[in-house]
Amino acid sequence: MSVSIDIDHVVKRYGQNTVVKGLSAKIRAGEFFTLLGPSGCGKTTLLRMIIGFHSVEEGEIRVNGKRINDVPTDQRNMGMVFQNYAIFPHMSVKDNVAFGLRMRKMSEAKIQTEVDHILKVVKIDHLKERMPAELSGGQQQRVALARAIVIQPEVLLMDEPLSNLDAKLRVEMRNAIKNIQRQIHITTVYVTHDQEEALAVSDRLAVMNNGVIQQIGTPQQIYKRPSNVFVAGFIGLSNFVQAKLTRAGDRFALIFPSGWHLPISTIRKDAQDEDVVVSVRPEEFVIAPAGEDGIPAVIVSSVFLGLATHYFLKTAQGQELEVIQYEGEGNHLSDGTKIALRMKADRINVFHAQSQESMIEGDGDGEKE
Amino acid sequence: MEKKNRRLTLWNIASFWILCFFVLFVLYPLLLVLYKSVMDPVSGAVTAEYFIRFFTKRFYWETMLHSMEVTAFSTLLAALLGMPMAYLMRSVRIRGSGMLNILIVISYLSPPFIGAYAWIQLLGRSGVITSFLNELFQTAFDGVYGFAGIVLVFALQSFPLIYIFVSGALKNFDNSLNEAAESLGCSRFHRMWRILVPLILPTLLASSMLVFMRVFADFGTPMLIGEGFKTMPVLVYTAFMGEVGGDDGFAAAVCVIMITLTILMFFAQRYLANRNTYTMSPLKPILPERARGLRNFLAHGIVYLVTGLAILPQAVVLYTSFLASNGGQVFTGGYALQSYAATLFAKDNHVIWNTYYLGIVAIAIVLVLGVLVAYLSVRKKNIVNNALDTLTMFPFLIPGSVLGISFLFAFNSPPIVLSGTALILMIAFAIRRMPYTVRSSVTALGQISPSIEEAAISLGASDFTTFRKVTLPVMMPGVLAGAIMSWVTIISELSSSIILYTTNNQTLTVSIYTEVVRGNYGNASAYATILTLTSILSLLLFFRLTGRRDISN
Repeated sequence: MSVSIDIDHVVKRYGQNTVVKGLSAKIRAGEFFTLLGPSGCGKTTLLRMIIGFHSVEEGEIRVNGKRINDVPTDQRNMGMVFQNYAIFPHMSVKDNVAFGLRMRKMSEAKIQTEVDHILKVVKIDHLKERMPAELSGGQQQRVALARAIVIQPEVLLMDEPLSNLDAKLRVEMRNAIKNIQRQIHITTVYVTHDQEEALAVSDRLAVMNNGVIQQIGTPQQIYKRPSNVFVAGFIGLSNFVQAKLTRAGDRFALIFPSGWHLPISTIRKDAQDEDVVVSVRPEEFVIAPAGEDGIPAVIVSSVFLGLATHYFLKTAQGQELEVIQYEGEGNHLSDGTKIALRMKADRINVFHAQSQESMIEGDGDGEKE
Repeated sequence: MEKKNRRLTLWNIASFWILCFFVLFVLYPLLLVLYKSVMDPVSGAVTAEYFIRFFTKRFYWETMLHSMEVTAFSTLLAALLGMPMAYLMRSVRIRGSGMLNILIVISYLSPPFIGAYAWIQLLGRSGVITSFLNELFQTAFDGVYGFAGIVLVFALQSFPLIYIFVSGALKNFDNSLNEAAESLGCSRFHRMWRILVPLILPTLLASSMLVFMRVFADFGTPMLIGEGFKTMPVLVYTAFMGEVGGDDGFAAAVCVIMITLTILMFFAQRYLANRNTYTMSPLKPILPERARGLRNFLAHGIVYLVTGLAILPQAVVLYTSFLASNGGQVFTGGYALQSYAATLFAKDNHVIWNTYYLGIVAIAIVLVLGVLVAYLSVRKKNIVNNALDTLTMFPFLIPGSVLGISFLFAFNSPPIVLSGTALILMIAFAIRRMPYTVRSSVTALGQISPSIEEAAISLGASDFTTFRKVTLPVMMPGVLAGAIMSWVTIISELSSSIILYTTNNQTLTVSIYTEVVRGNYGNASAYATILTLTSILSLLLFFRLTGRRDISN
């Protein structure tokens, strides 16, 4: 029942300006696939090409292997949830949801049952007769979702659907969306600029920048093993530290400007001596007493958040770093304390200084463009 | 809050004086009209004689039917022209659309009766097109007069209003609604009828109401092209100004009937529009797209044809103004500037000066009072200011000729004698345009968060200083833009000025009208060209000041 979508080297131009630059991605049947990137990266444009609001200048989009470039939107059978919901303001909740079914000339009796069913699924059956103006943001969101899925589309597309909601509702709705998607098992393409949201809902996601897909993978792959400096910086929080990679036989080590030497075993076997950028998540640091092995640093300030303490440090070289220490991992350190900073060598990521690409072995898990 | 209102603040003093102004110049004259309509001037007894006369003589009650027919048909036609025009211009990329837009607006800015006499020159008894057709087909077509002529002029002259409003609504229309419908399998045709039209309907009703008021109250057009087909404003005018001595009581009765009808219409529209008002958050506006083939051809054809017809009277007027004549009614062939010489440079001709002088003073009154009333009714809500707000909206429902007559009733004899002065014209103009400026100021105020005023007050500014230094400067651009449009309508005002003018303070529109009636089309055209030029310059100023390319909100 679910369909796969092949995006095959698609290009979108506006005059001289190419906003989508030959993108390819394979979206698997039934999966929740997210396009994540900063604003202006082309993610919404790609979404609108899939549904057909934008023409495809070059390349192909195939649904279950069938080319759909020239199929008009109203015959594509894709449901879409818009950023501002696009609820028809002159129709009741019921009529909004029934709209697509009426377009499909379904009998009124059948429409009634379908609408009732779907309103139960999205949990707003009690609002059936209301007008859109009487609904809260979250309720409108549910109407938009119900309207898009009641037509049993082959594909569900969502364009930043949660960006107009407040923080609490956003978390609630993203769980609801995820659950409903699981329930009806429909191939879903979701666009967002919010990385936390993307990590939370997606089966897999594509990180985009400047019209190019930077990395495709599961949330875990993308968070743990970003394929380049952009992804490492965009997803989560990363500290970037300059270093030199040295090779001695089959063993690699990183040499930091302070002179600290860190053996590392996750580097690709074909790597040579290189200038590298090391990306370290705040939780991948280990704080040791001053004088021990590590990068010498001093604590500038700290924020206690209960679950963890965030330390802001400065190294002898003057670089500022953010470090997280979870409760129970050590005593609280006051400002001005001198320490030595070490890293969890198996978790940190190393990028080629010039190409900015990952040098970690086995980074092929996520398909690259 | 309550305590504040009891104090004698500057604001309370302002509301008091403004209220006095409106009671004197709106309420008092209207009550006088009502009074005269039921009062026998000789016996001093209450009488229904005038109303009975109106409803029993066919010659009289027929004018009401005529007015309703003409108004209904013209409004309907204007909507049928204006809506598709707005939709085409918004959704299809039309070559030269910027220019077309300006032409449409210009055609709307000129007084309707200019369209009437231009069309007489084209399709009248001896009109250019009439003669051509009669020669071609050997027919004896007598030209468009009466019902057809009036409707032709009004429809072409009024559709721009609907165009402007609908176009504005389409600009704020959220195209994601169309996209949502499309994704749900809705075709282009169905999208139009199920999504676009229902959502545009409130705007369409509101603008149709404006057209209705305009057409219903217009005096010049039916007077010139109506011939035997008399409408109510014509009846009022002839009853009041009648050569056999005006019949005040009867004119007053017809005025009362006219006001009653406009009030009924107004509430009907209110009722319909209130039931279907929607707010949209326009995330993606409709963008004009390049159409191909037949669709493109048809779109261009319709848009150009309708715009051409709308602007045709202006072109005719411009052309006529340069024709050589014998100084009177006969064109002698060839071209000359004599019409301009006779109008612009004639001795003792203060017509242009009068128009500007009266218009600018009127606009100043409108601006000061309009902004104050808006501020008082939005920010200083109390009973007096609510009454003020309602009172300033009254003139919206009063046809110009009725206002003119009511002013003469009220200010022709002591205690207050204003008739024949420039002041009475200024006040009449100001009162008539007031509702628009009050509304646009209320809108402008609504977009200013009260917290910026509170901030000023917390920093030590007094209430009045805050208004002067913070509120006023912020709301001014919107208000000024509205004022320019009011200015344009003031200088093309005819129905009240034709009743209130004297030769000393004759305006351009009155001069055009009297020249047309005298049959001196050359002079009339020269005046009309000057008027159009003024409107165009005002419009350009408006675009310049607001940085906009259309005049809707």
